[in-house]
Amino acid sequence: MNILLVEDDLDTAEFISKGLQQHGEIVQHCDNAEQAMLLASSSEFDVIIFDRLLPNMDGLDAVRILRASKVTIPIIMLTALSDTSDRVAGLDAGADDYLVKPFAFSELYARVKALARRQPLKESSLEICIGELKLERTTRQVFRAGKEIELMPKEYQILEFMMQNPEQLITKTMLLEQVWGFSFDPKTSLVQTHVSRLRNKIDKPFVFDMIKTVRGCGYLLSRQQDAE
Amino acid sequence: MLNKHQIVQTLKLSTLSWFALLILIFTLIETSLWFDKRDQKAEFAENAEEIEHIYEEQGPRAILKELELTHRPKWTDNEAKTHLLEEGWLVAGFRDGKLMLGADTDLPTADTPTWFTLSLEDDAPIQVLTTTLYFNEYAYAHFWQKQEETQRLNGVFAYKLLAWFIPLSWLILCILFAIITRRDSKPIQAIIGQLDAVAQAPDSARIKVETTNPQWQALGQSINTMLDEIVHLHNNMKTMSVGIAHDLKTPLSRVSNRLQSMYQDIEDAHALHFHLEKANQDLTHIITTFNNLVRLNAIESGKHIQGFTVFNLSELVNELALSYQPVFEDSGRQFEISVVPSVQCYGDRDLISQLLCNLLENALEYANNNAQIWIRLQSHTQSALLQIGDDGPGIPDKDKHKVFDKFYRADISRSKPGNGLGLSIVKAICDVHNAQLCLLDKQQGAVFNIEIPMP
Repeated sequence: MNILLVEDDLDTAEFISKGLQQHGEIVQHCDNAEQAMLLASSSEFDVIIFDRLLPNMDGLDAVRILRASKVTIPIIMLTALSDTSDRVAGLDAGADDYLVKPFAFSELYARVKALARRQPLKESSLEICIGELKLERTTRQVFRAGKEIELMPKEYQILEFMMQNPEQLITKTMLLEQVWGFSFDPKTSLVQTHVSRLRNKIDKPFVFDMIKTVRGCGYLLSRQQDAE
Repeated sequence: MLNKHQIVQTLKLSTLSWFALLILIFTLIETSLWFDKRDQKAEFAENAEEIEHIYEEQGPRAILKELELTHRPKWTDNEAKTHLLEEGWLVAGFRDGKLMLGADTDLPTADTPTWFTLSLEDDAPIQVLTTTLYFNEYAYAHFWQKQEETQRLNGVFAYKLLAWFIPLSWLILCILFAIITRRDSKPIQAIIGQLDAVAQAPDSARIKVETTNPQWQALGQSINTMLDEIVHLHNNMKTMSVGIAHDLKTPLSRVSNRLQSMYQDIEDAHALHFHLEKANQDLTHIITTFNNLVRLNAIESGKHIQGFTVFNLSELVNELALSYQPVFEDSGRQFEISVVPSVQCYGDRDLISQLLCNLLENALEYANNNAQIWIRLQSHTQSALLQIGDDGPGIPDKDKHKVFDKFYRADISRSKPGNGLGLSIVKAICDVHNAQLCLLDKQQGAVFNIEIPMP
């Protein structure tokens, strides 16, 4: 992936760049909004990581200007302001996702990948198939290997989100935001409990587990059995 | 004693009231004299009428008799004035414009009873009444009557008294006001003194105002209320500082230990990985604490209020409760949901979600392992009634008032996870929604009642 990182704090920038490069991504870094807008409109990027607080210009305004000039590259905003209204403002300005500092690198990477691979068509399609799993949106039915599985509403929402982002790390925070609409962390095992119930229905009666735990980070929906 | 400001005020006040008093007394004297003169004038006019009557009925001789004059005296100007001063009256009768009897004088005359002031050479000026009686075409008479002596003396006495009273009354008023000012300033002096003492140690004392003046008493009470609030805030700050210090110290010292262990195990990749993971966990805990503090401040600042909307509270409670049902089941507890449909609420959906989560999390954290936990939502006349409770073990009565304080933890050892901000956030959310939050008394467990005003 070709990623543009707009971040004025050099330590943070290095932390993100290094992490992305270790995963084989190409990172271009710049530390101000003017240069970022120039780069964004002249080069091809898969994702832009945009810091909210930049010298001279609010990141929000920069995103707004980019969107106004028909730049459609997915943007994820980084901010130290951990409030819902700021989050809403960020999304309103045209950002696709919003992440509060300090964050775990795995969280950022999971979101970057989810954004880069987002395929608008897929979201609106009536049926999603991932390996043995099939999800029908009109009837809200789920099948694995042709066998229907009954899910509770939250379990269905979790699975739907995972199936939209297969083979990608999905963090607890992403699930809280997408499924429950929480901008705060309720701390207990709310997500774990629901994922574990989902697993009991999706994985337990079958040969291999499709939902995998990435330790300390989140979950991943995989098409195939692990090589181990 | 009085200070400079008070002295100036006292002088101003006493001088002003002294002026007012003088004007009042002067008016009283003058009015009284005016009434006396009016009475005398009325009597004089009556007498004149009577004389006119006598002349008509009995002729001029009868008048002489009436005036107790045996002959027709003629007085020179000086004699006339002496007569007026001594006898109190004077007459001058004319026929065809010629003086027939009485005073040959140039004293002022008038057709109707009139007062004038007569200046005499040696004596003080006197007030004199005069009138003219026209008996027929040829005959007429001027009459004069001096002001009655008692009246004159009254006037003189009153003004003499006033002359004495002027300086004396000013002095008395000054002293009077000085005393009042001094007495009035006593309570404030007392309050100042006590406040100085309280400033040293706000916990130590409260203001006592020994006065019957309700204003001073109210001031004393207000100051005491303020002091109570200050002490409360002070204690809150203490609890918070201790809480922050403790909540940071423990994970930070653990991170520090981890770093030292990493030095020791620098060759062992597996051990290093383990240490890193643990250090990361501890730091995450610190960050969560700070995030919660920031969140709490944001909620308390009321910035969410402009985003308030009307939404279906029943749906939200149901959705969240159903989400938590498996969590409670997995923890071995029973969870009962009882929600009346279509209860509306005016507020911030996200904040209310957090309120519900925090209370449910609290139950998960502290309720007994086999406890019964419930969430109920009902509507009342003007409000939505929400209850989240468990049947044990609850919070000791003596600690109940502290549960919403920042960093308060039921377990003193702080061994359980969490940072003691959950219920403070609940309280803050209730406050911005004008909702009543209380922890019920005399319950087996912890039962929280929340009354949210309906739109």
